[in-house]
Amino acid sequence: MAAGGAAAAAGASRTYSFKVVLLGEGCVGKTSLVLRYCENKFNDKHITTLQASFLTKKLNIGGKRVNLAIWDTAGQERFHALGPIYYRDSNGAILVYDITDEDSFQKVKNWVKELRKMLGNEICLCIVGNKVDLEKERHVSIQEAEAYAESVGAKHYHTSAKQNKGIEELFLDLCKRMIETAQVDERAKGNGPSQSGAARRGVQIVDDEPQAQSVGGCCSG
Amino acid sequence: MLWVSSSSKLTAALCTPDRRLQEDSKNVQIAVTSGRYDRILLFDDSLVFLQGIETHICDLKTVWVCSSTKQNYFQNFQLLQIITPEEEFVLTSREPQNQAVWQWKLNQLIQQRLIGRRNFPLWGKAGETSDPPTSRVSTYTYKNEGRFKNATYDGDMSWGKPDGKGTLKWPDGRNHVGDFQFGQENGFGVYLVPSSLPDRYDCYKCHWQNGVMQGYGICEYADESVYKGYFKDNMRHGYGILENLASTTDPFKYTGNWHKDKMSGYGVCESTQKSERYIGMWQKNQKHGHGIVLMDSGTCYQGAFALNKFVGSGILLSEDSSVYEGEFTEECLLAGKGKLTFNNGFTLVGSFNKSQTAGLQTQGVLHTSCEDQNGIMKRKFQLGVGLLPVEERWHGIFENFQKFLESGCKRETEESFLGFHVKSNKKLQKSQEYLHCQSDVSGEIEDILKEMSLQLEQESMQCYLEKAFKSSHHPLMKLMKELCVVFQATYSGIGANFHLLSMAQEEIKHYATKIWELYRALKVMAGGANDMAVPAGEDEEERNEALNSYTVVLPILLPYFYADLFMLYMLYYQQEDAYYWQGIVRLGMLTDTKLLQFLDVQKFLWPLKDIKLTANQRYSIVRHKCFQSAIECLQKIITVMDPSQKLEIILKTYTEIEKTVSRVVDGDYKLPMDDLLPLLIYVASRAGIQHLGAEIHFIYDLMDPSNRGGIYDFLLTALESCYEQIQKEEVRLYKC
Repeated sequence: MAAGGAAAAAGASRTYSFKVVLLGEGCVGKTSLVLRYCENKFNDKHITTLQASFLTKKLNIGGKRVNLAIWDTAGQERFHALGPIYYRDSNGAILVYDITDEDSFQKVKNWVKELRKMLGNEICLCIVGNKVDLEKERHVSIQEAEAYAESVGAKHYHTSAKQNKGIEELFLDLCKRMIETAQVDERAKGNGPSQSGAARRGVQIVDDEPQAQSVGGCCSG
Repeated sequence: MLWVSSSSKLTAALCTPDRRLQEDSKNVQIAVTSGRYDRILLFDDSLVFLQGIETHICDLKTVWVCSSTKQNYFQNFQLLQIITPEEEFVLTSREPQNQAVWQWKLNQLIQQRLIGRRNFPLWGKAGETSDPPTSRVSTYTYKNEGRFKNATYDGDMSWGKPDGKGTLKWPDGRNHVGDFQFGQENGFGVYLVPSSLPDRYDCYKCHWQNGVMQGYGICEYADESVYKGYFKDNMRHGYGILENLASTTDPFKYTGNWHKDKMSGYGVCESTQKSERYIGMWQKNQKHGHGIVLMDSGTCYQGAFALNKFVGSGILLSEDSSVYEGEFTEECLLAGKGKLTFNNGFTLVGSFNKSQTAGLQTQGVLHTSCEDQNGIMKRKFQLGVGLLPVEERWHGIFENFQKFLESGCKRETEESFLGFHVKSNKKLQKSQEYLHCQSDVSGEIEDILKEMSLQLEQESMQCYLEKAFKSSHHPLMKLMKELCVVFQATYSGIGANFHLLSMAQEEIKHYATKIWELYRALKVMAGGANDMAVPAGEDEEERNEALNSYTVVLPILLPYFYADLFMLYMLYYQQEDAYYWQGIVRLGMLTDTKLLQFLDVQKFLWPLKDIKLTANQRYSIVRHKCFQSAIECLQKIITVMDPSQKLEIILKTYTEIEKTVSRVVDGDYKLPMDDLLPLLIYVASRAGIQHLGAEIHFIYDLMDPSNRGGIYDFLLTALESCYEQIQKEEVRLYKC
């Protein structure tokens, strides 16, 4: 029933399960970002959510069902070394900084370096400048941030948790990219002997009940 | 009358005072079809065929008579068949009456001979004729060439053949007592073979099929070694254990696979004198293929063997956790090119030479730059991974269960597939095992199956499995017992070595998978036996997805292996657990407020309201009061063995933290990780669970893989990060 040879299975009856880690310093608003995303849309009746530390969301993107699990991490400097424990096996990472706080952007750079070192290019990175509602107090230049993101193979987004701006797009985009990566992985696995792909990284392709409640199209925000 | 007409030689051969002639083929004409004999005499105790002066005497006790019809082109022939253990004769007569007379007389005389009386009339009244029983207790000594030559059979016979219970004795001292069928050993039997040692026998207690040992058996050899396992065509074959612990020269115990009487395939062998255990592949009684050698000292090797010798390069893990990778001599001594990694991370690459007398000589380059991560990986190197595939390890055990299933789960074949019923009886404890041949046990296999067919829910399945593993007459219990034996043979004692952790945990998971498979097969069988179609709806499928070896079997299976398996985890995480414990001790000295402060828990989350202070107390001296409910909850983790229950406890611990927090802030506060992690560290440090590292990784390895990425995985990861944090120097060396 699980992952493995499901690569050849019909696309319609597949569910991707993705793990996404949320990284960012204390006051950058990463928690409000996901809370806004997960709770604005629908009330999750399942008990699979831990208030603000662990959130899940079901999506339907172009007929592909996605189960998203968002893992919050502690942003304090003293817990920095614990990072690898959290982001092993993750498919995506959302790195949040505060556009008014140059320091928080530096932190993001550190995480990116570490993530690339530990997980290579298989993880989809999103660098997110939050609090665009405070544009006036911006301390991190847009050009610099976007250039940096491009240089490390990440996508850059601007969001405002307060005004609910850019959040939908961020997650939708991330999911699409993760699906692509997973498909490339599957294909690689189908062709080559390399077994390391999806299984190792925890992409689980699960045959799901067909009438899985699809979450009213994410684009129609 | 007869004696007069016959030669003196014949008289000497046949004439005894008690013997009376009852019929003569000269008198009532009848002949043997084969034509070898020219005269037939029927005495009251025997049937005699004559040819010239040659006689052939058959004791009536072992003569069976039946009439049959043979068709010819022209007519139907009535034939009289005479069956004796080693010969068959066919008598015919032109006169049908003659044949009837012979048949009647023969039967009557056989009957009398069997009863030992001759007091009823020969030509009896009509209706009183009764044929002698076809099954009788007789004695017969074989004369013809063959397996039974010169052996004497004593026991149940039918139509000239041993059939039923009997004893077969050979003049050379061999002796078989047991069940026979159609003239051959079939069923359970005890077979004694004298050895070269005086008064010593090889004693086989096993199952036979058509005259050969087939299926499960125990052999106690004359040299006091004992084999317990499976036989095929009189040879040890399949899974079996051979021990000769009484031997003074080289006592050993081999647990593993056999092929044509020789150790072949995967097996574990422990030499008790040398205190050495070999885990790996065998061929024709020799170590051959990939293998692991464990020494009493904790040193272990991994490499390839050929004809009992170490060949090529391998790995040596020494007890001080230095690692050598390279070439060896046949006696597992370092020789040739290699790389030595010391426990401090230094490496030495060069050529080595170690002799038993002169110590280790080496020439090489020493690298003092530690490849940190790599070093740890090497220290904790896991043996056997990828080299000894788990599917091949004990397939002999599962195979027999599978065959038992395929054969239709018959009660009478159960023992031969699954081993003997063992009744532990206090009186018999000295002999330890009591062969229980009669199946007088309550709860037959048929009932066992009946009980099974209705289980659909996880709980009822588990309940059933739990009962099955404990019930002495359930096939699964025997399987389980054997698995415990092999697991212990591999992983306890010398095998309690953390380098075997990966092998052990994958083996447990494999057991669960196999048992799940077999359980389902058994259920299908039960469904068939009870004519119950298992309904398969959509509902069913959904439920079936949640049912797997991890959710159903593992929780029931684990308690049987927990001690040995958990020991490996404890050994593996010994160092980490020691650092962690130092941290626990340090933090334990702090008061609650100091600890909350140290962990940077935001002030508004401090549950000081919960603390009732006595007159002279202040918050700053209170210890072990905050988050009490969560702490107590987490401590329960060591009381359960099932990973899913452990995860449940971690989730509950979280809920308790959340409850406390919402009481403190008096409202809804969503705990982000920034706040949750310090609180979790607080709770974990106060809970002070020993071997937390072992616990966490035990859960990781054995939990249902469908949990990965989910909430339980998240919480477990969070707990692991607490564990890591507590190990850190800032905590361990914190000055209070």
